[in-house]
Amino acid sequence: MVTLKVNGKEVTVPEGTLILDAAKVAGYDIPTFCYHKDLISVGSCRMCLVKIEGQKKMQPSCITPVMQDMSVLTETETALSARASMLEFLLSNHALDCPVCDKGGECELQDMVCKHGPHKGVYAEPKIRFHEKDYPLSDVIVKNSNRCVQCVRCVRVCDEIVGRGVLGSIERGAHQEETSFLKTYLDCDQDGMCIAVCPVGCFMRRPFRYRARPWDLRGSKTVCPYCGTGCRMTIQERDGEVVRSVANEEDGFNGIMLCARGRFGYDFINSVERLKRPLLKKNGELVAVTWEEALSVIKEKFGSTGGDRIGAVASARLTNEEFYLLQRLVRGVFKSANIDSTSRWHPASAQAFISATGINEGGTSVVDCLGSDTVLIVGSQVSDENPVTDYFVRRTVRDNSTGLIIASPRAMKLDSSALHSLRPVPARNGPLLKALTLHLYKEEEKKLSGVKAIEEIKGLTTGGLASSAGLDEGELKTAAERLNASGSVSVMAGIDLIRYDEGIDSLALLVEVLKALGKELRVLPLLDRCNQRGAWDMGVHPGFGPGYTDTESGLGCDGMLEAAREGRMEAMYVIGEDIVSLFPDEGFARQALGNLKFLVVQDIFLSETAKLADLVLPGAGFAEKDGTFTNQEGRVQAISGLLSPPGAARTDLEVIGAIGSSISTGFAQTDPEAIMGEIRKEVNMYSGVKGAWGEGTIVKASGSGPKGLTGAKKAAKEKKEKKEKKDKDYPFELVTGNHLFHSGRFSRRAAILKGLLKEATVEISAEDAETLGVKQGDRVRVKGMHYEAELSVKTKKGTKKGVAFIAENYEQVPVNRFLRRGEAIARVSITPL
Amino acid sequence: MEKILLKNVGKPDSHRIDTYLAGGGYKALEKALTIKPEMLIQMVKDSSIKGRGGAGFPAGLKWSFIPKDPGLSKYLCCNADEGEPGTYKDRGIIENDPHLLIEGMIITSYAIGAKNAYIYIRGEFVFGRLRLEEAIKEAYEKGYLGRNILGTDFSLDIYVHAGAGAYICGEETALLESLEGFRGQPRRKPPFPALSGLYGKPTVINNVETLSCIPAIVEKGPDWFAKIGSEKSPGPKIFCVSGHVKNPGLYELPLGTPLREIIYTHCGGIRDDKKLKAVIPGGVSAPMLSEADLDTPMDFENLAAKGSMLGSGAVVVMDETTCIVKAAYIIMRFFSHESCGKCTPCRCGTPWLTQILKKLEDGESRPGDVKELERLCTNIFGRTFCPLGDGAVMSLRGALKHFRDEFVYHEENKKCMVAS
Amino acid sequence: MLSEDLKKEIEAEVKKYPTRRSAVMAALTMAQLDKGRVTAEDMREVADLLGINPVDVHEIGTFYTMYNVERPVGKYHIQVCWNISCSLLGAEHLIEHIEKLLGIKLGETTPDKKFTLTTVECLGSCGTAPMMQINDDYYENLTGERVEEILKGLD
Ligand SMILES: Cc1cc2nc3c(=O)[nH]c(=O)nc-3n(C[C@H](O)[C@H](O)[C@H](O)COP(=O)(O)O)c2cc1C
Ligand code: SF4
Ligand code: FES
Repeated sequence: MVTLKVNGKEVTVPEGTLILDAAKVAGYDIPTFCYHKDLISVGSCRMCLVKIEGQKKMQPSCITPVMQDMSVLTETETALSARASMLEFLLSNHALDCPVCDKGGECELQDMVCKHGPHKGVYAEPKIRFHEKDYPLSDVIVKNSNRCVQCVRCVRVCDEIVGRGVLGSIERGAHQEETSFLKTYLDCDQDGMCIAVCPVGCFMRRPFRYRARPWDLRGSKTVCPYCGTGCRMTIQERDGEVVRSVANEEDGFNGIMLCARGRFGYDFINSVERLKRPLLKKNGELVAVTWEEALSVIKEKFGSTGGDRIGAVASARLTNEEFYLLQRLVRGVFKSANIDSTSRWHPASAQAFISATGINEGGTSVVDCLGSDTVLIVGSQVSDENPVTDYFVRRTVRDNSTGLIIASPRAMKLDSSALHSLRPVPARNGPLLKALTLHLYKEEEKKLSGVKAIEEIKGLTTGGLASSAGLDEGELKTAAERLNASGSVSVMAGIDLIRYDEGIDSLALLVEVLKALGKELRVLPLLDRCNQRGAWDMGVHPGFGPGYTDTESGLGCDGMLEAAREGRMEAMYVIGEDIVSLFPDEGFARQALGNLKFLVVQDIFLSETAKLADLVLPGAGFAEKDGTFTNQEGRVQAISGLLSPPGAARTDLEVIGAIGSSISTGFAQTDPEAIMGEIRKEVNMYSGVKGAWGEGTIVKASGSGPKGLTGAKKAAKEKKEKKEKKDKDYPFELVTGNHLFHSGRFSRRAAILKGLLKEATVEISAEDAETLGVKQGDRVRVKGMHYEAELSVKTKKGTKKGVAFIAENYEQVPVNRFLRRGEAIARVSITPL
Repeated sequence: MEKILLKNVGKPDSHRIDTYLAGGGYKALEKALTIKPEMLIQMVKDSSIKGRGGAGFPAGLKWSFIPKDPGLSKYLCCNADEGEPGTYKDRGIIENDPHLLIEGMIITSYAIGAKNAYIYIRGEFVFGRLRLEEAIKEAYEKGYLGRNILGTDFSLDIYVHAGAGAYICGEETALLESLEGFRGQPRRKPPFPALSGLYGKPTVINNVETLSCIPAIVEKGPDWFAKIGSEKSPGPKIFCVSGHVKNPGLYELPLGTPLREIIYTHCGGIRDDKKLKAVIPGGVSAPMLSEADLDTPMDFENLAAKGSMLGSGAVVVMDETTCIVKAAYIIMRFFSHESCGKCTPCRCGTPWLTQILKKLEDGESRPGDVKELERLCTNIFGRTFCPLGDGAVMSLRGALKHFRDEFVYHEENKKCMVAS
Repeated sequence: MLSEDLKKEIEAEVKKYPTRRSAVMAALTMAQLDKGRVTAEDMREVADLLGINPVDVHEIGTFYTMYNVERPVGKYHIQVCWNISCSLLGAEHLIEHIEKLLGIKLGETTPDKKFTLTTVECLGSCGTAPMMQINDDYYENLTGERVEEILKGLD
């Protein structure tokens, strides 16, 4: 600790503290421009100059660390006049067009001039005009350089956090301008982080420009409805329309960070295609009906179908409260055990994943994970699937000595931060993880003699495993050595492990081995849906009840569809899940759903699945309801409604409650607060969840811990054997997943994101592209055994040869048509058009 | 004084290694390689040589900051960005006697433990660059560079890196940024380059002239060197004289030679025997002096005492026909053109000053302009990120100190006093 | 398009440094050699060759004054020094003189694309002021007649 004086007031702060922060402790706010707590400090704007007694020159407090017995003066006449003069300089070349500037009212320059600035402008020389009109840098970013204060935060955030580096400083001196290559459109993540860090109206949101003044907006704090990172944000509306979402720096673990989906993906809420009233199929047509009529049909049909002939599938985007009530409805009222939260994969795989990653034992924060000596990311295209997690990783690796190992068939942005990037062939995480484990075993045979599961792999060779994973034995060995040399290890495991139904038992084995080696170990699941974890925690799974308790086991979505096709299932209640578009075999899903006697689909849009329904119920979006989401870390965070659902639509909680009470008296319970009270009581892990505001609460298993979860190995065995076909007519393995701008059905209706997406692409390695004789943007035919489509090529350096990637949710190219139930991975051929 | 730095200049083929060797070249290197590196550093300390690039930092002391750890790679960078207006001495050495610099660099690299050295030469010196590259090739061929130099364990590679037009790259940390392939904007210090410089490795940056003094120090000993010229800042110095003198050019003289002697004895006095009005003694960053200061000995200490500085040793002489407002404008225009844009006061302040000076010069002044100049100087000085901004202010303040009347005359009468 | 030979030369520059990026200045200098300017395409190719973003090359190309990024210059680029030493010895008259000779103003190019006239800051030739640079060559101790002679001698 270091003791110093700030304006005569003594403060004691940790060594290495910046004068800026020490002054804050002493109660003095020093103004800054170029400084940003998430960026590497540069000390260039000179706003924060302070006097240090005994030193001739004033020093920038944002880069000067404190020293013992230092005496800092921040409020002397010189310090104050220095501040005023910097502002005067900045204003000398500033456009001063505040009345038409989008930043008006929340502009750091305005605020600072108001507080510290010269009260009269004397600059009378001509100003540099960089351009006449604002110019767009993309569909979401628009630029006005005449307002720039040269803090260069935009360029720095793009380099240091986003990892794109597509912005730069062009020209020099007073003519310096932060912009893109030749001021052309940016090919980037479009996350608007440059906008978020810009203190003035230089980088602006294009969709928001001239739409409203900040003080006319009404907002509410919520959580992003896209991926499992669960970024906190505030959405703001004007005249009943959501017009902006912003990360609140002070509130939420994600600080200033949001990705393109979080920052620009809100507008599906405003879509004119929203469902506004219940629709009942009459003579083959869906026609609008009242809720009374809808509920009475439900009462008749659901009331008369009992037990295992009815089931429910909900999207992993409902709130915890809705999930909880849904499973109570299914288990208590329908008297059925058939319940699932996704149609994309087999519940046994999900269960194995939960067990291997310890989801049932409570959460762990991404920041804690990144404090480890080594972080292993496996089974996730994290840069696309969990963009803000990617930012966290990059920022931490930048500042700390954290070593990063990434294993993924596709190259990703985060590779540039990694110590080792392993490129296995798709769906071969099993041999990869086994090889790491076997290397560890070879190094530490003695310590691992107690790990029984090792027996199973002892007979294998590291060389054999490496080649089966399509990797070099040496690189696996180096990675294993790094793991072994680390005192603390974090494993970030993504849902590719569930998607390809492969490698989960090997993950469990690696986790066990790392624990046995005495590593301080954390496992973080990387989830692609905002409340996947909440769905599982609430027992929306056929294998366990809320809090992973034992229940009678039922069918998951896959099982329900199979039963429906075979006539063993009569009715299904589907909430927010578009099974037809997502189930990895569209034909099978259509056939099965078509075979049901009664299908109820509750959604906010008329999805492909809803079109097949007998009854469609209009639900609510994240901006229209209260409740909580649990992110991938196990962090329970509140969302709160800003608008009412459109037309006669109701919140999903209300609908579930109404269905329940229409069948069974005494069911109604539709207050999210009260349900959370019930969850706290019933679900051990959630007992500690207090207010879910701010940074939320990370759930913890306490007491005897949860029971009822099948072990990873057992669960993995339950899944069906999948045959693998090699075929030289189909040289590519097709992998699927989320696109940076597109990760589900919402993004299909999010006009701004759709604008960014432009066209459906198939991503292949640069080498394969060369062999095929195609370049980025060329059209190709992708042909599988069951389906073919035309797409445009995206090339990526460093992606594994023989891998083709198509995002899951393109409307034009339903990728699930390439897939067949029971096949591990689809193979395709690619031919130039 | 016996010439040390310019001794080969004027010889036929002075840039060839044979000429250099014939004049006793590379003898110092042979000697140096028999001396322990620490001893060499001590010798350079004992010589009391101060950097010739502008800041005058003691070279031996700078070298001694380099960590001794042999496992660490280290770099030597020669600053040949020579951009301070008025200065052309480094170019003189590079074009006429490149082996002197190369020998100095080899000895320095050996002393600090560098295995790679870069010469950052300003891009405009195309001819100089070619000369250097040829000379380096010659040195490799003769075994003065490359692996196991002169049969010792010591190996060194020297590379030439050309700039492309940016005065700021003469500032040592901007030079490093530029070498690494970035825009030449200064880095924050600490960490100082001696600990974390080029590619994050310990680095010594020295001026061409500084490095060119090293062979003589090694060969003739630090005591011999320390006896040349002023006591506190000894050694030979190349003065670059330009402007209104009869014989402009490079003059190698002992530090401490009075300004009057340089102008009147060596340069033959003022052109057309006009009266002297002002002299910039050390490049445009150095505040100008007036006739009254002509007896100042030209060294670091005495010029500092006069409120100016030795800088790069570029002497710009202005006679009585010179309009000081115009001179100040030209100099400020230069600084604002060269401001790298990193920090607020320099980026916004130097163009502002330039605009006011231009109006004064063009007869479009407004009342209060001179005061405004002074106010802006206060707001810039001591607040910039690097010394460029300070240099800009110092130059203007020098002009205002001695010739404020002239500025006021421009402000009040919208015309020039000197009216030719 | 950078020629294969040029790419090889750039690779040779890369070898001087521990990072590829360090060769960006040399690469731009070379790219500019035959055309006298750097095009967008050149910058993209240099970026690709060095493994950096095009904007990084654009930054370098515009920070340093010697690169003519997307700025066409004539066959002969005349740069007259107008810094202090040259000004003291008549740089302004020289500029006016050249303007008259070529019939263009500062910053302009003659219609036949032969000459471009600009100013430049100190080129380190102050003892032989006034001076100018045409392409890579220095011309020193200039007078009106000398300049006329020099320009006539260029074809
Ligand atoms: C704006 C600016 C420009 C500079 N230009 C040069 C230069 O052209 N050549 C040079 O040797 N030093 C220059 N310097 C000084 C260098 O930063 C550094 O002090 C010097 O190269 C160290 O070498 P020395 O100790 O041998 O003098 C400049 C400094 C500043 C602030
Ligand atoms: S003083 Fe500031 S703007 Fe000027 S050159 Fe130095 S860092 Fe750049
Ligand atoms: S002032 Fe012109 S070359 Fe120096």
